[in-house]
Amino acid sequence: MDGFVCVRLVQANAMDLTLFQFDYDLTFAAFFLNADRTIYGRYGSRSDRKDATRDMSMEGFRAALESALDLHKDYPSNKALLAGKQGRPRQFKLPEEFPSLAGKYKPTLDYEGKVVQSCMHCHQVHDAERRLFRDDRKPIPDEVLYPWPMPNTVGLKLDAREKATVAEVVSGSAADLSGFKAGDVIQTVERQPILSTADVQWALHNAGQPASLKTQVLRGGKKLNLTLNLGTGWRRQSDIGWRVTTWDLRRMAAGGLVLDELTPEERSNAKLSDKELALRVKHVGQYGEHAAAKRAGFKEDDILITVAGDSARMTENELLARLVQTRMPGEKIAVTVFRAAGRVELELPMQ
Amino acid sequence: MTRLISCLAASLVVAVVPATAAEDRRERVLNDRKEIEASGQWIYNDLPKGFAEAARTRKPMLVVFRCIP
Repeated sequence: MDGFVCVRLVQANAMDLTLFQFDYDLTFAAFFLNADRTIYGRYGSRSDRKDATRDMSMEGFRAALESALDLHKDYPSNKALLAGKQGRPRQFKLPEEFPSLAGKYKPTLDYEGKVVQSCMHCHQVHDAERRLFRDDRKPIPDEVLYPWPMPNTVGLKLDAREKATVAEVVSGSAADLSGFKAGDVIQTVERQPILSTADVQWALHNAGQPASLKTQVLRGGKKLNLTLNLGTGWRRQSDIGWRVTTWDLRRMAAGGLVLDELTPEERSNAKLSDKELALRVKHVGQYGEHAAAKRAGFKEDDILITVAGDSARMTENELLARLVQTRMPGEKIAVTVFRAAGRVELELPMQ
Repeated sequence: MTRLISCLAASLVVAVVPATAAEDRRERVLNDRKEIEASGQWIYNDLPKGFAEAARTRKPMLVVFRCIP
């Protein structure tokens, strides 16, 4: 570890957004970089709300650190290979420049006073990105709604104990159709040396819809070139339910409701087929804009069966995404719910 | 190797071990600074100092973002 200068940052206040581009919903993220600001790689991934470490391990982190040291030894002769790993141009250089965050935070924490309140969380940057669109009454684009797709979005399950070794390929997925196999060690994506799952996510994060990503894997000791072909709308397979920023999506599109799909048994009891909408209200927000659904008459355990005339099966993610991309603040959406008394017609306010 | 494990623990394990219920968030924030600075291996919340040190020593940087819950 003597090989690194270690810096720990516990605030998003005054964070350079042109340099530090990572999944802002994480509570732990690491960068390996040169003193000239060239990024060697990233570390830190998450796909579960409760278990923040499922996609990370000491072994994987150590492997990424060792590879970063190797890249540093070869630097700057390898600078061209690292070009794709560098931050992209951003509309704002600092979080405080976002309209929804302007004037609320100082550049440094107030350790002598209200230190907690003085700290801007990283996820607030992601919240602010989305609010830019919502407050302008524009659909939130897929790239902002589904950031930092995990490799499993394209059918690749990576081993968290390794840098980027394929543990499993989902049958019929984009990765499967592109020729990936379990045991493949991903060496590069779009010529970028891969140090971690987060590096794969970075490449996916910046990919279009559709996209073809040139990858190189090590299979049985031999290098093999594969093209990962991603279709239109591939990002929408990404699970955003674990993200803390989904809380604000619920404010925007569900009036503060937290929704959960019925189990097959519950569907059967409610006489709903597996093709029909069946989202149970798990939680009703109680305060401010998160209580908009409560004020509109929604109650815990209501089952949403029709939203805006559509009764096709959807997950909470899919419903939230559809509404923030098609319905603007101020609109009211007709919703039919089942509750003990029978069917009830309500109006869900968009914010 | 011991130093490596120690540093990894400071950066990753400390990040994920939940605080006891008795600690409130203010205490966790203050204790984090105290404990990490005491380890002697980390520059705390001072990125310019980190860049200067990396330029001086010609070492790569490990920059960890840690949100203290």
